[in-house]
Amino acid sequence: MSEATIIKDAICSFCGCLCDDIIVEVEGGKVQRARHACPLGSSKIMGHGRIESPMIRKDGELVESSFQEAYDRSAQILLQANKPLMYGWASTSCEAAEKGILLAEEVGAVIDSTATVCHGPSVIGIEEKGLPGATLGQVKNRADTIIFWGCNPAEAHPRHFRRYSSNSIGRFTPQGREGRKIIVVDVRATRTSRNADKFVRIDPGCDYEVISALRMLVAGKGDILPERVGGVLKADLAELAAMLKAARFGALFFGLGLTHSRGRYKNIDNALSLVAELNQHTKFVVLPMRGHYNVGGIGQTLAWSSGYPMSVDFTRGMPYFNPGETAACDLLARKDTDAALIIAADAASNFPRATAEALANIPVIQIDPYENPTTLLSDVVIPCAIAGVEVEGTAYRMDGLALRLRKMVDSSLPSDEEILMGILQSVRKQRQMMANEGA
Amino acid sequence: MRSIVIAPRNVFCISVEAENISPDRFAPLKIEEIKKLIVWQGNRQKILSDLFTVDGEDSPSKAEDMAIRLSGDFSNVKRIGEGMTSGAIEVQGSAGMHAGNHMSGGILSIAGNADDWLAREMLGGRVVVMGDAGNYVGAGYRGEKCGMRGGEIEVRGNAGAYLGEHLCGGSIRVGGNAGDFPGAANQGGTIFIGGSTYLPGAEMSKGTINVRGETKVLPSFQKMEIAQIDGTDYQKYLGDLLENGKGELFVGVAVP
Amino acid sequence: MIIRGGIVYDPSNGIFGEEMDLFIDRGKMVEEARGEEIDASGLLVMPGGVDAHAHIAGKKVNTGRIMRPDDSRLGTEPRNGVCRPSTGYTVPNCYAMGYRYARMGYTTAFEAATPILEARHTHEELQEIPIIDKGALTLFGNNWQVMECVRDKDLSKLAAYVAWGLRSARGYGVKIVNPGGGESWGFGTNVKSVNDPVPNFDVTPAEIIRGLAQANELLHLPHSIHLHFNNLGKPGNYTTAIETLDLLKDIKPSRMRQVVHVAHMQFSAYGGTGWRDFESKAPVIADYFNSHNHATMDMGQLLFGSATTMTADAPLEYGNARLTHNKWSNHDIELEESSGVVPMIYSRKMLVNAVQWAVGLELALLVDDPWKVLMTTDHPNGSPFVNYPEVVTLLMSKPKRDAEMASMHEQLQKRTGLGEIQRELDWADIAIMTRAAPARILGLPDKGHLGPGADADITIYNLKPEELDTSQDHSLVKKAISTAMYTIKGGVVVSKDGKILCTPPGRAFWVDAAVPQADTDRLMPDLQEKFAKYYSIQLSNYAVQDAYLPHANVIRAGLSIEPLQEVA
Ligand code: SF4
Ligand SMILES: [Zn+2]
Repeated sequence: MSEATIIKDAICSFCGCLCDDIIVEVEGGKVQRARHACPLGSSKIMGHGRIESPMIRKDGELVESSFQEAYDRSAQILLQANKPLMYGWASTSCEAAEKGILLAEEVGAVIDSTATVCHGPSVIGIEEKGLPGATLGQVKNRADTIIFWGCNPAEAHPRHFRRYSSNSIGRFTPQGREGRKIIVVDVRATRTSRNADKFVRIDPGCDYEVISALRMLVAGKGDILPERVGGVLKADLAELAAMLKAARFGALFFGLGLTHSRGRYKNIDNALSLVAELNQHTKFVVLPMRGHYNVGGIGQTLAWSSGYPMSVDFTRGMPYFNPGETAACDLLARKDTDAALIIAADAASNFPRATAEALANIPVIQIDPYENPTTLLSDVVIPCAIAGVEVEGTAYRMDGLALRLRKMVDSSLPSDEEILMGILQSVRKQRQMMANEGA
Repeated sequence: MRSIVIAPRNVFCISVEAENISPDRFAPLKIEEIKKLIVWQGNRQKILSDLFTVDGEDSPSKAEDMAIRLSGDFSNVKRIGEGMTSGAIEVQGSAGMHAGNHMSGGILSIAGNADDWLAREMLGGRVVVMGDAGNYVGAGYRGEKCGMRGGEIEVRGNAGAYLGEHLCGGSIRVGGNAGDFPGAANQGGTIFIGGSTYLPGAEMSKGTINVRGETKVLPSFQKMEIAQIDGTDYQKYLGDLLENGKGELFVGVAVP
Repeated sequence: MIIRGGIVYDPSNGIFGEEMDLFIDRGKMVEEARGEEIDASGLLVMPGGVDAHAHIAGKKVNTGRIMRPDDSRLGTEPRNGVCRPSTGYTVPNCYAMGYRYARMGYTTAFEAATPILEARHTHEELQEIPIIDKGALTLFGNNWQVMECVRDKDLSKLAAYVAWGLRSARGYGVKIVNPGGGESWGFGTNVKSVNDPVPNFDVTPAEIIRGLAQANELLHLPHSIHLHFNNLGKPGNYTTAIETLDLLKDIKPSRMRQVVHVAHMQFSAYGGTGWRDFESKAPVIADYFNSHNHATMDMGQLLFGSATTMTADAPLEYGNARLTHNKWSNHDIELEESSGVVPMIYSRKMLVNAVQWAVGLELALLVDDPWKVLMTTDHPNGSPFVNYPEVVTLLMSKPKRDAEMASMHEQLQKRTGLGEIQRELDWADIAIMTRAAPARILGLPDKGHLGPGADADITIYNLKPEELDTSQDHSLVKKAISTAMYTIKGGVVVSKDGKILCTPPGRAFWVDAAVPQADTDRLMPDLQEKFAKYYSIQLSNYAVQDAYLPHANVIRAGLSIEPLQEVA
């Protein structure tokens, strides 16, 4: 019975790298080892503190309930709300997202992903300029120049270097790290900058100006630049611009340091233009470093279902999109929502405190395998099987590549998909009952 | 002039969308019909009189003869005067997001503050805000090349970030300060900011931005001569050189 | 079900405007049936429309949506009845695609370009498109394994790879886009002619095209190679077109069909040395098609207004973006392809755009045999597919063409010969170009006709062909064919007068071609090496799983089996 099984080429469902070479050893229905995974990935795959039973808050206390009771109470909350928010989705499958979108349509909710607190500005930047990108394998095989701007993969995406970027070895990059120039731009030294050939430290909040200066230099208009931009000497910027132009294939990876510093989506907008213009001189691509493993997938799924990749407001029946107005943080900050379903994300920790506090004042439904600060303020808590460990499904890597997550072990808990369908069925039933009563 | 007064029946916790509050929509209708116009609160479709009281002259008129007064708190009521072509709306308090979206004529005046996206994609007419305005005054919709194309916006107080983003025409005047990135991608509109701001005119290719107070200027702007406008000295810049460099930026020279 | 009294156009079965009854049983056309009756007396009845070339699913399409909220906000319709919400004009959401095709009387559409690596994404979207049957062509023209087999002149290994690639992608046929150019774009360059060697691979586009055409015929694939020429979109590119077509003259088709289908011919029929002397070379191209039988084309008609260009021809898109100063998305796919997306507005006042508009029409009017020309707009490159009725009426009405040309640049008359063309297509031509021919060209024996055994996909238009003068009454024609009175898909009325009545999931067609095991055995070490060294994912995670094709329709082909039943 308890003979060990080995699952090869399993996919780590932790970060946006979506490493698909994990060797998982399962024994006695539990993952014993996850070889090749980094510590972040292996701690996810090996599992930790799970919610064991559905719970409903009664007289201030979370009390265990049946799944059906939890679905019915959730449906009731969603149906009563004038503007329910369905937030999260970064750590579950696209199949679950599809069910969530259907539920959002049927109850007239606003649906948003954690992109709103990470790469939302990137999306808006892309709406301005487009995204000149590539799959990660293209970078591995060709890139001789790589910039990491405002990101720290050494800590956040531990296997990125070796699998896809600075240290990877591919067809036209046989020397790996030796044959590459690695540039890091950040406001402080990081473990990533220690790996760099050139580290450009800029003043906080000055990314936009620095990028503008680089664009000027790339366009050969450097002469009018001041001696220093964003805390960087012009000579240093000129050297950097020359390195970029000299690349045979360049790749710019950016992270929250660029999306969340002063300038926000304008920074991304400007970086996208820089990359587009570099293509007049050489080949250059740009990729956002997506954090949660499937934050890209909810964006793709929402886009093909509704036309928009995040912050979609279905309250009036037709999709409406306007981050700044329809994003989860906007609604919470303005207290413009009266119920929330939080799935596969820890909203209480994602948002600034004042925003998160708004959650405490409205009914909250949580669907998650794990207990987290959101659990404390939830009125219904529904535990689920872990997508990518206990359930199959689709996820999109940070470069937009779809992979099929494998199931490694069984779970007695329902999947996110099943839970969302359970709630949807209860919504339909309660609607029908209300209609009958009305008639 | 046919005057109509609308007042909220209570405080709105969930924002209301009321694009039907517009001279063009009201003009051909009697009061009882106006009361039945659709408004939305979240996912609930309602009629105007569910949420607001409606009083005034009963007989239909032309839009240009309409004067709508919004009395009470409209700060959580969105899309007031959307698409209006003529007539007048007077908001006695503050107005919610998207007031005067797409308006092409008439006058929208707001005694209090205006929330974000005031007069988004405006084509013509006049908007006056006595208090402050939020982000994206006269800006465009996400992904769109053009924001405001014509008309006038005046904000007596301060304005938020991204003022007049993608401006393609018309003029915006802010008495106080403006947030970051006013006049980004300006393609032919005019902006005047009485106070200070930060990084005006990013990627502008045409048009004028005039900042009376202090501002940080992008490194991709070329410093020109000192110019006098209305008796005040301004440092002139041309930019954004990342575009064609045909936009004009004037920054007030501080008197020491 | 019985459809009574319609004026039926079913060109594959030699029926051109005959009054007859049609019988449907269990989703198929039959000789006799009972049940519900639809009165179609005097009305125009055709098989359901078949779109053989459109960009309807996958990464490019979704990138278009993500970068264009300005487009998504157009055409918004709320959730309603059986319908999920609709958004978008040039890049509609999945649901809108299904509903809009169905409303227009189309029941089948093929996605024209999917890299194998990203086929999973394509199928995720195809699955979400309701009602219509679909399939996806698979990109091979810049694939390392393909180029290496071609370089080594190893045709049987190449065929084994094509079969493996189709199976991995759950793909329908061999698509080739700017062969060699996509690989060159990996380092930011392009190939300039069919004989320009591909950097690092020691092959030429000509060799890639010929190799894939031979493999295609060796595998008896239902569809021929489907080719997007080198130099597409550039002034003077008609010579590349002719040169490329000449490369394929001597290849024998393995089935009763063309050897090559040319995608969106309009974009490759240009003369001139630059944009200033840009002119139509449609007559030269049409002559070629009239005097040769190995090639077919789809128009790729351009219409004025908004479009979103999207293609695996990435260098072309970079050029478009620089030219129009518009937003630009690019996506290179390791070892396989590159691609790009750029929004576009075509204006009748721009001479270049007006010439492009004329070229598409000239091609369709100057090629004598309608079986060789499909009506498409290369959705959404030339225009979104909802504008097909505009194209059809332009083809049917000389007065309409004249009226349009009168509002265009006066130089247009000098740059094209469209004004002198008197030909007006009739319903038989249209039924061929939108139904019978695309089905034959794709190799779908049960589509595009109404003979016994065919899929019961039928369009009934609220138009009396015997009473309407299509030349004069073109606006009535356009209105009638924009919204079918009935669209029947698999024997079920899915749309009536524009109202969607039900949304069955469509089927997904893919081709499973058998090859000798020995060839696959020779191929696998190459692939194992590529995955070990170059791909960023594992071989075992590469192929599209069956979970993504819940309504699959597998067509078998290949070396080791007899040729399939020929398409009529
Ligand atoms: S890098 Fe990311 S995906 Fe890869 S093993 Fe670590 S956590 Fe998992
Ligand atoms: Zn195409």
